[in-house]
Amino acid sequence: MEQALVAEAQEAPRAGDLVFDRLYRSNRDDVYAYVASLLRDGPAAEEVTAAAFERAYRKRNRFDPERGDPRAWLFGIARNAALDELRRRGRQAELTAEPAALDSFTPSEGAERSERRLAVSAALARLAPGERELIALKFFAGLENREIARVLDISESNTGTKLHRAMTKLREACDGNA
Amino acid sequence: METPRDDQLIADLKALRATPRPEFAAELDERAAAGFPRRSHWRWTPFERLRAVQPRKLLIPAGGLAVVAIAIATAIAVSSNSGSTSESSGLLGLTNQVGSAPQAQPATPLHFEAEAEEVAPGSETHASSAAGAAGSTGHAASPVQGFNSSFNARNRAVERNAELVLGADPADVADDSSEVFEAVHAHDGIVMRSSTREGGAGVAAARFELLIPSAKLSDELAALSAIDEVRSRHEATDDITAPTVRTGELLQDSKARIDSLLAQLEGAETESEREAVEEELTAERRHRARLRGQLAHLERRADYSRVLVRIETGASESSSGGAWSIDDALGDAGHILAVAAAVAVVALAILGPIAVVALLAWLTHRAWVRRERRRVLS
Repeated sequence: MEQALVAEAQEAPRAGDLVFDRLYRSNRDDVYAYVASLLRDGPAAEEVTAAAFERAYRKRNRFDPERGDPRAWLFGIARNAALDELRRRGRQAELTAEPAALDSFTPSEGAERSERRLAVSAALARLAPGERELIALKFFAGLENREIARVLDISESNTGTKLHRAMTKLREACDGNA
Repeated sequence: METPRDDQLIADLKALRATPRPEFAAELDERAAAGFPRRSHWRWTPFERLRAVQPRKLLIPAGGLAVVAIAIATAIAVSSNSGSTSESSGLLGLTNQVGSAPQAQPATPLHFEAEAEEVAPGSETHASSAAGAAGSTGHAASPVQGFNSSFNARNRAVERNAELVLGADPADVADDSSEVFEAVHAHDGIVMRSSTREGGAGVAAARFELLIPSAKLSDELAALSAIDEVRSRHEATDDITAPTVRTGELLQDSKARIDSLLAQLEGAETESEREAVEEELTAERRHRARLRGQLAHLERRADYSRVLVRIETGASESSSGGAWSIDDALGDAGHILAVAAAVAVVALAILGPIAVVALLAWLTHRAWVRRERRRVLS
């Protein structure tokens, strides 16, 4: 489903008219999740998500499909908007799960699962910001390695290597918590 | 607690994923449907606003604006040049335009000798001696005495020259020439040289070299301009204050030197000493006489303006037969194109460096923003 939408969205720029609505609908929650993981601030994440979509909408005719697919392009804009917001705040990025997400744990999920997720969240907080961003792009935003490579402007193989290292560190950090 | 397996770890990570509030999602959906209208509270910098504009949309008005600006500048340049360039074939390329104030700027003085008037010797009446202006000769007073009086109100000695070309019917040349004499006499001027030639259109002509008191130059030119159709009028000024002042000072020094030599002569005790002083005195007096002559000449240049008046018959030199021909059109088109090209080059010369600076500023800003973004995550 997602692939189909991406494919459709990819066709649009070639035709000179990005099907922005479909791109928006298929990525709205992913962009928000990624931005929220960068900012750790719900209202700010909403603001930046809206700003990112608005900026992308204004630039939709300038999108060059040869430089990447629309999703990577959109997340690049969202990333810049989020980093600009962090710059404005003048504080370091902290890529941990949003507190609201932790609050969403319910007793029905079981004590062990809640405890495990808290440990994962804490382990995630101990990772380097770049590694946390990689994990956020991969698992919060659901991007492919190829798309992550485009967003971060690194090679796809380098993305895979870095992601593997980040996951290894995350697992080790979970071990430490355990 | 056990270390989570990979799939478990990934599931836990995905469970930590933040989801937007339904209210926010609904609001964003509405805005998406409306084409993301700008929100006043969203912080767009002017630079971002400029960047958001599509280049094509920016280029069209910018290009149109540039074309309009060049067209206006060309029109202004062409119209401002038309008054003088059409007559630029005049005698000496005087820089002051028709009707401009004589004191506007120093320019090349008008020298009558440079003019080569094509008047047939056989058919002309020539009057090379001074005529009229009886009172004017008294103006050349003693150089030392008149030294200060030769300056104008601002103590500037300014030589003025003018050239006037009148167009007349062949039958009117004689009458116009008489009126020129009358106008010169009325303003205490001097006709240095004059010549008239009778004949048909293009042949009949007259030429006058005049000396007019500078104080009356404007009135004289007005009177001369009223005689017939003015085809061109040029005025030029040349500030000769510096040589006048310098000569006056040298003259005063010379006078002091003569006084000193006279005192030495009185005190001379031997014949040889007296002879030496007298010889020196003679040389100094010659020098003083020379300086007086120079100063008198400079004062005359400041006191009297040289005016050249030509009366022409037939078509104006600037037009060929009166009708606007294809050649004229091509010439005008070429002129307009040349001016437009010049304006464009000047505009490029101004905008080029600005564009380079803007480009450098943009590149610097971009590099700085990228560095800052990287720093945020470091």
